[in-house]
Amino acid sequence: MILRQLVLMLAVTVASAAHAQESPPDILISRQLANERGLSVGSIVQLATDAAGTGARRFRIAGIYEPTPDPARLGAVPREVRMHLPDLLDVTRTPGVPAGTEYIANINVALADPKDAAAFSRDVNARMPGVIARPSGEAAGSAGPFRVLERFHLAIAIVTIVASTVFLLALTIMLVDERRETVGILRLIGLPARRVLMQVFIEGVIVAGAGAAFGLVLALLSEGLINAFFQWRYDTALIFVRITRDVALTSAGIAIPLGASATVLASWALLRRSGLRLVRR
Amino acid sequence: MADVIVDARAVSRTFAMPAGPVHAVRDVTLQIGAGDHVAVRGPSGCGKSTLLHMLGCVDAPSSGTLLFDGKDVSRLSDSKRSALRLTRIGFIFQRFFLLPMLTAAENVELPLSEAGAAKRDRQERIKELLDYVGLSPRADHRPSQLSGGEMQRVAIARALANRPQLLLADEPTGELDEATGAQIASLLDRVNADGTALVIVTHDSTLADRAARVLMMRDGRLEREIRR
Amino acid sequence: MNALRFAWRSLVRQPARATLGVLGVAAVGALLLDMLLLSQGLVVSMRDLLERSGWDIRVSASELPGRGGRVSSATRTAERIAALPSVKAALLVRIANADIERSNGSPITAVFQGVSGRSTRAEPITPPWTVVRGRDARGPGEVVIDTAIASAANLEIGSTITLRANCVGDREALPPARLSVVGIADFPFAGTNEDAMGGSLDALKAACGGNVGDEADLLLVTSATEPNQTAAAIRAAVPHLYALTNADVVGRLQQTGFTYFRQISTVLTTVTVSFAVLLITVLLTVSVNQRLGEIAALRALGFSRSRVVADVLSESSLIVGLGGLLSLPLGVLLAAGLDRILKGMPGIPAELHFFVFERTALALHVGLLAATAVIAALYPMRIVSTLPIAATLRDEVIG
Repeated sequence: MILRQLVLMLAVTVASAAHAQESPPDILISRQLANERGLSVGSIVQLATDAAGTGARRFRIAGIYEPTPDPARLGAVPREVRMHLPDLLDVTRTPGVPAGTEYIANINVALADPKDAAAFSRDVNARMPGVIARPSGEAAGSAGPFRVLERFHLAIAIVTIVASTVFLLALTIMLVDERRETVGILRLIGLPARRVLMQVFIEGVIVAGAGAAFGLVLALLSEGLINAFFQWRYDTALIFVRITRDVALTSAGIAIPLGASATVLASWALLRRSGLRLVRR
Repeated sequence: MADVIVDARAVSRTFAMPAGPVHAVRDVTLQIGAGDHVAVRGPSGCGKSTLLHMLGCVDAPSSGTLLFDGKDVSRLSDSKRSALRLTRIGFIFQRFFLLPMLTAAENVELPLSEAGAAKRDRQERIKELLDYVGLSPRADHRPSQLSGGEMQRVAIARALANRPQLLLADEPTGELDEATGAQIASLLDRVNADGTALVIVTHDSTLADRAARVLMMRDGRLEREIRR
Repeated sequence: MNALRFAWRSLVRQPARATLGVLGVAAVGALLLDMLLLSQGLVVSMRDLLERSGWDIRVSASELPGRGGRVSSATRTAERIAALPSVKAALLVRIANADIERSNGSPITAVFQGVSGRSTRAEPITPPWTVVRGRDARGPGEVVIDTAIASAANLEIGSTITLRANCVGDREALPPARLSVVGIADFPFAGTNEDAMGGSLDALKAACGGNVGDEADLLLVTSATEPNQTAAAIRAAVPHLYALTNADVVGRLQQTGFTYFRQISTVLTTVTVSFAVLLITVLLTVSVNQRLGEIAALRALGFSRSRVVADVLSESSLIVGLGGLLSLPLGVLLAAGLDRILKGMPGIPAELHFFVFERTALALHVGLLAATAVIAALYPMRIVSTLPIAATLRDEVIG
């Protein structure tokens, strides 16, 4: 018999404490379920496998927990119950099926040294055919939807960078053009183009660096706002945006060379003209 | 005096600066009549250009009264002052201020189309003006293809587009060599001779000597007037 | 020369700058269009897919069909539902994973849909697939397969397929079943990377070694009256199950699975428009600041305040307008690429699209770009309208 996981029909009856005969087994319920049904610690409820109340058993709510956010179930309200395994088996066992013949879906293992996960998994797979063991990290990585979303986000990021680059070029051309007279004078008094370009490059790196830093600060602020909004919207503790060190370095690694290159490219186009043409209004 | 176009009565212009107010023009009273040829001279910073801007309704006096064709300019709305400048006043600048992306003909056309002239009338008037300033062969040339003198001639043609009563010129030969400046001076004489009142701010004594009236300014005041 | 023509001449005066500005707007506009298409794309596509299936109510044991739990006593439940006056037909659907053997490689894993229809009105029962070649599977030894399986396993109509199906989720060592391929079909609800096959419930039971129990993953219902009324009647008849009309399913999906895409569409639309406004504002402001002398001269010559303001607005409108036009084909291309990426998501029906062209999305796109042109021009318009003419002319001479 397949052990039902989280899709139990919850027949809720809040019984008065005065009616308690023997103390029913303890369960934990999710915060969302507690809020929805007006339940609290100490409430007595009945759990059954269908709305008709088949095999209903009484339980006492010993605690209310915040469910681990599951991105795959975003938007779904987590109406969850946690109980001891023997209690769950008791509720869900088909009449006539002897105890001890049920199935469980997963066994979670915490290792003394998490780095042993891969070796441990290999060992279990070799010794116990029919059982599949794998490190949790791989389990997360094998989640197809998130790989697809990653590619989607990357595509969006590429388009955004292309648009930004185009605008950046337009702006740098305009800004460099504002200094054409200065550049023309420098050329006329004998400064080589390479020297002017080097100066422009240094300026470009400084400006792009400052811009990247400002962008990161903006991103960090947005991170807080976006997470706060979506956590409120979906009533979840899920983190939606996280600026990691790698993300910050990648952003700066793209922004600074782009900014500096755009400035140099715009200046190079200007420096192809003679100094006399540049100073003439 | 022939019909008075501009009547300035004790006009002053003060600029509020961080270091304190600057009195660019103080208590200037003068009149410009139809067909007048006036030069305004004085040392740098004496308020010549500021006075010119007030006469041309580009700037408003801080005090005093300025009448244009008998109307108090300070009581006019911005759009009415713009209309005045478009149809009754012409401006020529030291830096020409031609639009670089337009041809000579298109630059001259600008005030005409803004005044709502019909296309055929505009074409005729452009041809007439470019002939007048001697630049018909250069009608399709952009400013970058013209010399300084040619650019100023186009600017004069543009300023005359709507047949203004008054032409104001701020250092029209300031960026030109002597010979070219003399050509521009002759052209301005011709404009005046044809009936347009002319007020020129200039450091150029040869240009000022052609005027019938020379106003000498110092420290924002009209020091004296020389009539020839 | 009117404001628009004047703006055009101002733009072409600096062709590199103008081209880059237009291209930038095109790229941003393409992304904006795609986000607008995405915001309703899934809903429109899913609605269309559900309606094309020919079934207008889905009955399941969970809030959302296919999200866990099975309908028990499925045969009796299907008969009860089919007997309702407002029901034309009911189809019981059971789904199993099947491994199809092939001589030239490892087994192909496919989803096997076994169906059994009920109708008290002698209505034809449409299976959840469309036969494109051959005929539909009827008997317990017959099956239809999709073109991917046919190609990968080198199967044709009349071929025999050997497979092992798992109906109960346990690891069982079942003998292989042999079924005859009678048709090639399209399975609209099969995932992009999913192979599918279909047949009668008896064929599925045979493939599963007979051990399946009387359960169904889903019951599909066609209603004789308005679907909402029929769904209400079904809920009254079988209160422990969920009866959802197509509109209900779409509504539920909007709240759950689709919600991420709506949110990201909103976020990216906002970011894109803000980005465009900011950048065009900067472009125009720098352009205006470089031409203050000319603008002051035009004002001195008699150009009114409203005219110079109109020139700036026209310039903004030209950049955004031209970029917006270019963004349409770019957006369509980009949408096709993004759609291809997202359709790789497991469990997404192959015929579902994330980006669906809708007139309202296009209208909104045009409206947002128009607003962008106006908002971006506000600051530079303010610069030119409040430009002190005399002071600017003076500064130009000094400068």
